[in-house]
Amino acid sequence: MRGVHFILAAVVLAVVTVAWLEPRPEVADFDPATDAAYKDTWSKRVHITYWEKWGSFEAEAAQKMVDAFNAAQDEVFCHYIRTSQVDRKAMLAIVGGQPPDVVGLWSDNVAPFAEADALMPLDDLMAAAGLGDDHYIPKYLEMCRYKGRTYVLPTAPVSTALFYNIDHFQAKAAELRAAGLDPNRPPRTIDELDRYADVLTVKDPDGTPVIMGFLPTEPGWYNMAYPYCFGGGLFDANGNPTPDLPANVRAFEWLKGYATRYGRENTTRFREGFGNFDSPQNAFIDGKVSMVLHGVFFPQFIDRHRPALRYGVAAFPCAAGVAGPRSFLTEDNIGIPRGCKNPEAAWKFVLWTQRRGLEILNRLQGKHLPLTGVPDGFRMGHPNRFVQVFEDLAKSPEAFIIPTSVVWSEYRDEFNRCFDHIWQWQPPADQLEGVTGAARDEKVRRLTHDEIVRTLGRMQATIDQKLRRKLQRLDQRKARAPT
Amino acid sequence: MTAARWRRYATGYAFILPWILGLTFLVAGPFLAAGYFSLCEYPPLKDPMYIGTANYAELLADPAFGRALGVTMLYAAAAIPLGVLLAMTLAMLLNARIRGQAFYRVIFYLPHLVPTVVVAILWMWIFNPKAGLLNFVIARLVAAGDWWTGHFFNVAALRAGKLALAGSGAALGWLAIAPLLGVATWGSLARRLWPHQNSRLRQLVCLAAILAIILAALPLISAALHTLCPVDMQKLRSPGWLTDGDPMPSGLPGAPSWALWSLIIMSMWGVGQMAVIYLAKLQDVPAELYEAAEIDGANWWRKTLSVTIPMISPVILFNLVMAIIGAFQIFAEPYIMTGGGPEDKTRFVAMFVYDQAFRYHRLGYSSAVAAVLFIIIIILTLVAFRVSRKHVHYSGR
Repeated sequence: MRGVHFILAAVVLAVVTVAWLEPRPEVADFDPATDAAYKDTWSKRVHITYWEKWGSFEAEAAQKMVDAFNAAQDEVFCHYIRTSQVDRKAMLAIVGGQPPDVVGLWSDNVAPFAEADALMPLDDLMAAAGLGDDHYIPKYLEMCRYKGRTYVLPTAPVSTALFYNIDHFQAKAAELRAAGLDPNRPPRTIDELDRYADVLTVKDPDGTPVIMGFLPTEPGWYNMAYPYCFGGGLFDANGNPTPDLPANVRAFEWLKGYATRYGRENTTRFREGFGNFDSPQNAFIDGKVSMVLHGVFFPQFIDRHRPALRYGVAAFPCAAGVAGPRSFLTEDNIGIPRGCKNPEAAWKFVLWTQRRGLEILNRLQGKHLPLTGVPDGFRMGHPNRFVQVFEDLAKSPEAFIIPTSVVWSEYRDEFNRCFDHIWQWQPPADQLEGVTGAARDEKVRRLTHDEIVRTLGRMQATIDQKLRRKLQRLDQRKARAPT
Repeated sequence: MTAARWRRYATGYAFILPWILGLTFLVAGPFLAAGYFSLCEYPPLKDPMYIGTANYAELLADPAFGRALGVTMLYAAAAIPLGVLLAMTLAMLLNARIRGQAFYRVIFYLPHLVPTVVVAILWMWIFNPKAGLLNFVIARLVAAGDWWTGHFFNVAALRAGKLALAGSGAALGWLAIAPLLGVATWGSLARRLWPHQNSRLRQLVCLAAILAIILAALPLISAALHTLCPVDMQKLRSPGWLTDGDPMPSGLPGAPSWALWSLIIMSMWGVGQMAVIYLAKLQDVPAELYEAAEIDGANWWRKTLSVTIPMISPVILFNLVMAIIGAFQIFAEPYIMTGGGPEDKTRFVAMFVYDQAFRYHRLGYSSAVAAVLFIIIIILTLVAFRVSRKHVHYSGR
């Protein structure tokens, strides 16, 4: 028995000793930049950590921006830490009291983070530094705000446009001309987009597509943009959810048209042949889809995997009578978590990114600037030859954003579920029994319309209820807060 | 109390102290805290605000929770019996005295050691409708089946009328199911028919007869299925698996979707662990019980029903309870493979809890869901124990 006590005590002692002797990790341990350039100032600098989401060449661009900051001054040293699912990890770190000094988020995160008091408001700091609203393209700054206060600042903006494969257009030039379409330009209206898509689509004898002119579900990241191209939208001017607008119904009817025309099973199977976004098997890069709706960053990925691809970029078409050009804008942004160790040093870094860093970052990432004033030479030799197109789209008065909303995460998930439902839905066979020809088409159209109206109505009710409950709880909390 | 007894107590408690500390601070503490948080509105970084049972009331009216619970129930209803049955069959096979027995046991247990994420990614490739291994195999089987069916019907049509064909098909179908229920039935039939033949010849004749009947019955069963559920049979030629949200069978409202079936099929990958537990118990069944049953004239099927299953019933109950808990906690596989889609058809309750807590920042609501999930698991486990009272036999009692 004495032996057992001795062994237990020895194990406990060994664990305590190892834990005691283990040197505490220092932030500097994680950084390779302990070279001669920083030798003299290393210990005098305030070391800050910057968590950011990017990988691959985008991470290298962000690292270069950080390196430039570290070289430009000798008071602060920023450690760039690549972090996947940065929003979730940052929130956990903030709740745990160990946040990074600077965090890179998405525009969707602003409302939930701000509502949770997880970010420091930046308005006073901006005013003191002379960073005014006029510095930014308005919609990009709008995405940084929640309830009138600025919680983050933009880093990498994203505007979206139509990418079209010039080789596909030329290969089908004769057929396009026969259909009354010009093979030397992209479609300008939704109607034209459909007609181009029909001509460009190539199918196997069994009906399975080999090339699709346009597939609305590819890449599937901007499904919420389509209603805007029909004059609809997901929110009204006051930020209230409006999924069941008549224009949205029209947009969904148009989307469903693709599933009906090309076959739901066929398009699903066709999609399964696509590779990852960042791979040569990307549907557009691989030449499987002739036209896609994509963001400003896409040309860099095309250049990585198929530099010889001949493609063009233009504004995504709108339905007849809808003012354009329309582009869906989102952005990556940067903020200072509440409770971080070095807020002043963090602000120095954030401010530097807004004055000098954005130019380095967005040039290397192939994006435009979210700023009104573009420095001389930014566009010269820019790796994205369509950067001007994207910049113009971002400045278009018809460009649109998703307003910062506390229920946006739930709304987006519900929207995607409804999108899936409508795409997959098929009219009940018993209702089509005995109906043929034009009458059948008309009945299918009517049933589909009814289903879309029903689905969007349900979405409206669900989101209204969620929003109402959320606001009710916020009021309750406010009422109970000590005065 | 003597010093020696004190020392004994102290030693005992010292041994279980790490476990007690872990249970108190890592399980019981968070468990009780979650119970309280479920009665609160609790966004991260803010103090929990007591709101009574409002979260539970919201839960009852939340269609997304209803969907997630339905998906989880369907999964449990299909995956648990299938898993238990497959593991038991596998264990019985592994229990046979054959050459390379240890090798087979290792092979069937190995999948359980593969990390969940790796398994999920592997099965995503297997289920890929275009380039996946499963559809590749199905396509070849269907092609062979089509060839055989066409051949069979041509031959059959020359010799018999359609009515006779349908009648014989039904009979053959029943006969084809029989070997699946127990080869021994055929063995005893063969013994009666050819009592003087040597056993090897008898086995060969028996096997040939079974094969012939299966081959003859297959086209007829296939024809019947094509008539009863044409949509599913058409899809079965090249299923969309994880991307298909349609129910299967299509005529049955509320049936699991193809995507959910994919996850159910995938869950069979890990039955090796269950099989090993069955195997340990199977090897514990006294041989004299089988000998006594044989003296009484019991065949293989009767021995299985009357000896094997009662003797391993405590382990069946254990595996059943573990499977219930596992099924209600499934998270990683659907999270990686489908993200809950298509149309929430693979969004399980555990994913719903995660979304509420980490995506929507509703810790109170997610605690309420977790509490409901806990209650459901407890109820099902209690039901399993209750039902087991009549059917589980403990040899020590």
